Amino acid sequence: MSIWMTIYYVFCYIIFGYTLTIMASYLFFIFQSYRAQYKLSIDMPDDETIKYQMKGSPLTPAVSIIAPAYNEEVTIIDNVNSLMQIDYPDYEIIIVNDASSDRTLELLIDTFEMVEVPYDVAMRVPSKPIKRVLKSTNPKYSKLVVVDKERGGRKSDGSNAGINVCSNKYFVCTDVDCIVEPMALYRMMWLVINSHVPTIGVSATMLMSNGCVVDEGRVVEARVPWSILPMFQQLEYMRSFLIGKLGWSNINALPNISGGFGLFDLDVVVKSGGYDNTSMAEDVDMLLRMVTYMRNSGQPFRIAQVPKVCCWTEGPSSLRALYRQRIRWARGLFEIISNHRKLFFNPHYGPIGAFTLPYIFMFEFIAPMLELGGYIFMIWLLFIGGINWNTAFIIFGMIYMFSVLMCFFLLFFDYSTQAVPWYNRRRSYWHLALAAFIEPFIYHPIISYCSNVGYFQYIMNTTAVWKPIQRTGVKKKEKTKNEPHEDNKS
Amino acid sequence: METISTLSYYFHLLATYTTYYSSYWRDLYRDYPYEVKTAIWVIQWALILIVILTIILEHRGHLRRKRERMEARLEERYGEALNHIFATDNDHQITRDEIISRFHLSSKEASKHGLLRDDGERRTMCRMIYHRLMNDETAGPNRQKNLQLLLDIFALPSFLEGEVSLGNMNNKMTAMTMIRAFRLYISPWVINKLLNSKQTQVRRLAMYSSVMSSSDSELEYFETDFFDKNCCIYDEIELGYTLHRRRAAGLKLPNLAHWAHLQKNDNTKCMFVRLMRRFDQHEYCHQLEDLFRESKHKKLIEEISRTWGYLHYTESEQLLVDTMLTQPDDTKVAIMHAVTRMASGQSLSLLLDGYENTTNPHVRFEALRCMYSYGQEGRDLLAHLESEAPEADHKFFSFFHNPITLNRIPLDKEQAYHPSVETVYNLSY
Repeated sequence: MSIWMTIYYVFCYIIFGYTLTIMASYLFFIFQSYRAQYKLSIDMPDDETIKYQMKGSPLTPAVSIIAPAYNEEVTIIDNVNSLMQIDYPDYEIIIVNDASSDRTLELLIDTFEMVEVPYDVAMRVPSKPIKRVLKSTNPKYSKLVVVDKERGGRKSDGSNAGINVCSNKYFVCTDVDCIVEPMALYRMMWLVINSHVPTIGVSATMLMSNGCVVDEGRVVEARVPWSILPMFQQLEYMRSFLIGKLGWSNINALPNISGGFGLFDLDVVVKSGGYDNTSMAEDVDMLLRMVTYMRNSGQPFRIAQVPKVCCWTEGPSSLRALYRQRIRWARGLFEIISNHRKLFFNPHYGPIGAFTLPYIFMFEFIAPMLELGGYIFMIWLLFIGGINWNTAFIIFGMIYMFSVLMCFFLLFFDYSTQAVPWYNRRRSYWHLALAAFIEPFIYHPIISYCSNVGYFQYIMNTTAVWKPIQRTGVKKKEKTKNEPHEDNKS
Repeated sequence: METISTLSYYFHLLATYTTYYSSYWRDLYRDYPYEVKTAIWVIQWALILIVILTIILEHRGHLRRKRERMEARLEERYGEALNHIFATDNDHQITRDEIISRFHLSSKEASKHGLLRDDGERRTMCRMIYHRLMNDETAGPNRQKNLQLLLDIFALPSFLEGEVSLGNMNNKMTAMTMIRAFRLYISPWVINKLLNSKQTQVRRLAMYSSVMSSSDSELEYFETDFFDKNCCIYDEIELGYTLHRRRAAGLKLPNLAHWAHLQKNDNTKCMFVRLMRRFDQHEYCHQLEDLFRESKHKKLIEEISRTWGYLHYTESEQLLVDTMLTQPDDTKVAIMHAVTRMASGQSLSLLLDGYENTTNPHVRFEALRCMYSYGQEGRDLLAHLESEAPEADHKFFSFFHNPITLNRIPLDKEQAYHPSVETVYNLSY
């Protein structure tokens, strides 16, 4: 056998072993997320009990919600009203205006009767200077604080400014255009108050608001998006939150709390330096620094995941927007890998150092590159006639069937946990099951391509362009329409 | 029986097909390399699992729809009457006959032992009553008696007790939560089994259920170091709720200072000290003096100071004054708050010391805040300090001139209980 043939065989077997390891890791996640869900089903009472216990107690910790805003004049009032509808006994909303060039600030001042107040801001974490702090003269809006600051250009800078103004021990960082579930804070804080070790962060399950019906800032009817890209993203988000993150959280190795909606311990965030204004993946970066701080100072900690949906966000519905978003994510991943390499395979940093980061490196970072290599290799083999088609189809069938199986586990899991209780309509599940069958052919290659472009751009040091996603808006409930829903007609 | 035999036939058929095709596939790929065999094996099992998951999903969907129909039926039959009972009848004691007439039950139906057909219906009815109870904000003086009567008509107390002793883990937890909410008596032999459960949450809930309604001897759980690990905020919420219920039922409250002494864990001690101020246990304040002198735990000293201040235990004032300047900043703030609440002779001089002998803006601001809360004398001192303050310190005083920020300044009752630092504005650097 020639040396080339030996290399060829070794490469093939390595890839096959790699594939089997990924598949085994997915089974591990399913097992872990099932355990986490079982534990929570016993420990965590229903929403009403949680609310009853926490609402009546003076011990329920107060929470600050930080939402940076830049040029959001179209939606800002609706979004602030939506945040004010959150059901929680003690919270403040901090809207950070990042020197918007439109009427965002004026609208906030006029609508909520805001005036400048003395507010001595502690510069706990770096941010652009704060020009003024405003509060409402109307007691109805006493929860609202508006921070007017100099332009930082990044969400992380706005979040840091919010941290500097925040007056509670726990804060939630969110996007101003997210639709927050009214029970979200109860669900997240319950995990904090019921933990015997300090909980430094809580990740909330987020889903796509595309296709949902929204009324007065609340999702009143959750639907699976009909557009093809948001539908695949819905499946991807569900897989990530309900299986991946829940699984990691069960072994206290959750590597990421989404920037869209996540709860943090203020002291630990401040001691870890807050958000990095230069990072493309500021949420992962901050959490890893928090873990590093806690491990270095020898303190026990926990990072938890709420298995129920807490927040709805609008995902990119055009290919261009998705392309931009995923390139940014890929660059962020590359940055995380290079900036936090000292944590890799380092048991000092606990399960995150020993398992999570090596896993991310091996199976999330390398996978798109290997996939690209695989396509090139296949094309070469096609030219030299070196493909055993029967074997190729069988191996492809294995990967495909396993991917579909994962989605079915996910649907089963979602149904069991009732993470999205509105998906109890049969059609939604069949809809997602259908998406699971087509996803590997359409969506997966796009994501893989974007990741490779992102890595390439990072290596070539191309300037990152951070453009906000073009929102198409969610469906608003039609007040006059009184037809029964299709599923209920029968 | 017919359904079971049909189902077993289909399962048998499925098993036969599976065995046949797996043997067929294995034979088909007998001479292939092992990676192909592995792939075949994965495909085969993936297909089988997909089919099984689909069947389970459909079956669960069917069960859910059945349950929803049952819930809708019960809601339609009893919902409106329940709403009426919860909304209007709490201010007078309702009779059995009234409830029966509201539910439009015949005397024959009402005399049956349990109007509900099966456990599913009983669970649903419990949930319906529980949810109404949780959302009932107009609790009248007779709500408990009416609730008890309502539960008795549907024979729910014995059902819930049965769920606690025989149900699966989820049903046990739900039943215990409901028993606590409905304030039902639960036999010690039922609860004692759960006190040794492997599940922490079950153990805790069982303990609180037991403490809520039992005699003094049941409180001995706390005489030992029950909270072997750190207690969490949830424990404190539950314990506070439990003791509150005991007090409302006219049962004796334990000596929380004694419990604090018995704990090994400092955070657990803090919890009991905080509970003392919630339950106004002024008579045991002197028992905390040893703890205050001996403890090196900063948080515990702060909590004891706050408790003394809140309960106006003026005998401790000299001790607080003597130790204040040697304490860390957060403890200083707690002592200043305590002395302000006591409002005795030494408060203002202590606050002035607190203001002048530190560079920490947070401590300085809290000293000013205490002066403002102290009363007219304190406000005069505040005005005097403002007139003499350098330009850089004017930011502290600006908070006292703005009506929006001023309304958060006075020390209020809620803050005195809250375990977080009593800070209203973020002034630490």
